[in-house]
Amino acid sequence: MKAKAFAARLALALVAAGNGASVACAADFDWKKFQGKTVTFLANNNPVAQALLTHKADFEKLTGITLKVDAYQEQQMRQRLVTVMNARSDEVDVFMSLPSREGPQFAAAGWYADLTPMTKGAVAGDYDYAGLSQALLKAGTFDGKLTSMPMNIEGPILYYRTDILKKCGVEPPATIKDIEPAAKKLKACDANITPFVSRGLKPAIAYTFSNMLHNIGGNYIANGKSNLCSAKGKEALETYSGLLRDYGPPGVVNYSFQQISALYRSGRAAMSFESSNELRTVMDGGERLKDTALVPFPAGDAGQVPTAIGWGMAVSAHSKQLEAAWYFVQWATSPEIQKRMALQGIAPPRSAVANDPAYRKWIEEEPVRKQWQAALDVLAAKGSSEVGYPIVANPESREFIGQAVQDLILKQKTVDQACADADKALDALIAQK
Amino acid sequence: MSEAAAKFTEDRQRLELAALSAPAVIFTVAMIAFPVVYTVWLGLHSFSSTGKQSFVGLANYSRLLADTEFWHGLWVTIALYVLSLVLQLVFGVWLALVLFHAKRLPGIVRSLFISPFMMPPVVAGMMWLVILDPSLGAANYILQSLGLPPSEWLASPVWVIPTVALIDTWQWTPYVALIVLGGLQSLPPSVYEAAQIDGASAFKTFQRITLPLLLPTIVTATILRSVDLLRFFDIIYITTQGGPGNASNTLNIYGFRVGFEFFNIGYASALMLTLTAIVFGAVLAFNRLRGAVAW
Repeated sequence: MKAKAFAARLALALVAAGNGASVACAADFDWKKFQGKTVTFLANNNPVAQALLTHKADFEKLTGITLKVDAYQEQQMRQRLVTVMNARSDEVDVFMSLPSREGPQFAAAGWYADLTPMTKGAVAGDYDYAGLSQALLKAGTFDGKLTSMPMNIEGPILYYRTDILKKCGVEPPATIKDIEPAAKKLKACDANITPFVSRGLKPAIAYTFSNMLHNIGGNYIANGKSNLCSAKGKEALETYSGLLRDYGPPGVVNYSFQQISALYRSGRAAMSFESSNELRTVMDGGERLKDTALVPFPAGDAGQVPTAIGWGMAVSAHSKQLEAAWYFVQWATSPEIQKRMALQGIAPPRSAVANDPAYRKWIEEEPVRKQWQAALDVLAAKGSSEVGYPIVANPESREFIGQAVQDLILKQKTVDQACADADKALDALIAQK
Repeated sequence: MSEAAAKFTEDRQRLELAALSAPAVIFTVAMIAFPVVYTVWLGLHSFSSTGKQSFVGLANYSRLLADTEFWHGLWVTIALYVLSLVLQLVFGVWLALVLFHAKRLPGIVRSLFISPFMMPPVVAGMMWLVILDPSLGAANYILQSLGLPPSEWLASPVWVIPTVALIDTWQWTPYVALIVLGGLQSLPPSVYEAAQIDGASAFKTFQRITLPLLLPTIVTATILRSVDLLRFFDIIYITTQGGPGNASNTLNIYGFRVGFEFFNIGYASALMLTLTAIVFGAVLAFNRLRGAVAW
């Protein structure tokens, strides 16, 4: 039924399409064109894919295409992808990708099919390409080639406990410089509460640290060289590591999103700097629903430059059925599907979906959802997708950022030593082609 | 039947046997040889981050010798190996003696004793990660209930190796115990009867009779655990991913990350072949030892 309703809406959209070009395009468009084919989708078994795949049957009914899903945890998905791509195999047609992480590397290796001609060719009338986040589309474009279509928008935001801050007479931090005094006051007020928690696990640190670095006014590269030893870079390293060392939970160097969300949800943390995607996990059980507020990370000298990234759907350059694969990508990133996913807690990369009445109603149900959406609006408007170094070896660069922060948390090096060691290793990565 | 005819029949039977078993032999050899040969080939090539490949000869191996992370990984691998192996052998022999002598122990208790090694390592890793969480875990709750200071366990660069070794010891001691128990059950009762007649104490009996006679079995357990411990991966990856810092970054974890996170397949292959050589070396050395202690 859902598929029929979806097809009917699409048909209506075709009729109602306004400009000549899209009418011509929509008039030729046939969802059943690849009926009988099988498209293989390599998915990361995360909430984004899980929400999408609840509608899998609708896609198969609408198109007649069989969708074969190959789902793994994130790291295992990449392992499989590397194996398949190095073998130039056509086993995978569509895969999930994080342009901010592996985008430059996969693009340089030629693993992505160029989606640019597809977005101008076989496109359903209501696809509304222009309605997708332009920032995310730009983040997925390398050397003029569009490599993936955005599935969601996400970034780190600050979750804080309104009741604990009120009890301790602490104002929510408005700037980065306010966080340390607030944490100090919270520590003195209630020794059982962790005042501040964020990512301390080495490969995960860059996700949250980048937001702090950019807010402070730092950047990763200046004049072609790694810039962690700049005044702003050192300030960011010291501030981030100092907050976790002095006000974070014991064992914070092993903390990634699972541990942070568990700690905050259990009521044992006052401030948590974690992904917007964790809203559903944090609110699970409803205990934090009424005592939590959300804001983008507080401003630094450069104001607010939040990290905003999103998972994308890419078509393999080795796929032998690019068009059928594009049909799946198009369906999965269509306004209708993204609206359905939004109602499942996946932040949409389209402003039109964010303004949809059904979605607005869901948002208005709880103040915390309103704040979540407001924070996401800031991410969409001001966000930077730079997580780690904007180089081909981005994943490896995150290791050295994480190492520098951990060295400081564990007091194994001074900030000058930590940043110098990181810069030396990162300069070598920047020099790699 | 003449001698020539009999020989002809025998040769024919041999030929038929060879022809029939050839596909299975070829398949098995190919399945073993292909991955090894392919890994050797990969180790002689360099793959850039963008997937470009070039022949570099032994450059990956010379890079390895100059790589401080490799030497650190080797040290971590050996430290974890020695600590875990010693603990597992000591506790494994002890547990085997308990199970051997407590003949009236109910079956359910015996099953409980040996159950940890039946658990998938990933599940064991997740379980211990939760138990050892410094803030929310049961381990620190118990320590504090007893008036002891809490520990950072897996998050401490100092304690991470002993903690991982303890987790592995928890899981694999029963496996060692089962092997040793098999050895105990096969020991000749006559030597014990003779010792009893001579008035030997329980400790002397263990020291002079049980332990020497058990040595071949213990060496077998050592070989089996050595292969696993030198390639130790799953629990470390689940609990620490090589951290904090690089405190638990074994060669296997390092090689995996170089290959599948940084996409440097050539160097990762060189690392893994070096680790394979170390494992083979250890197995050969222990095999010689087994020959020396056989009775």
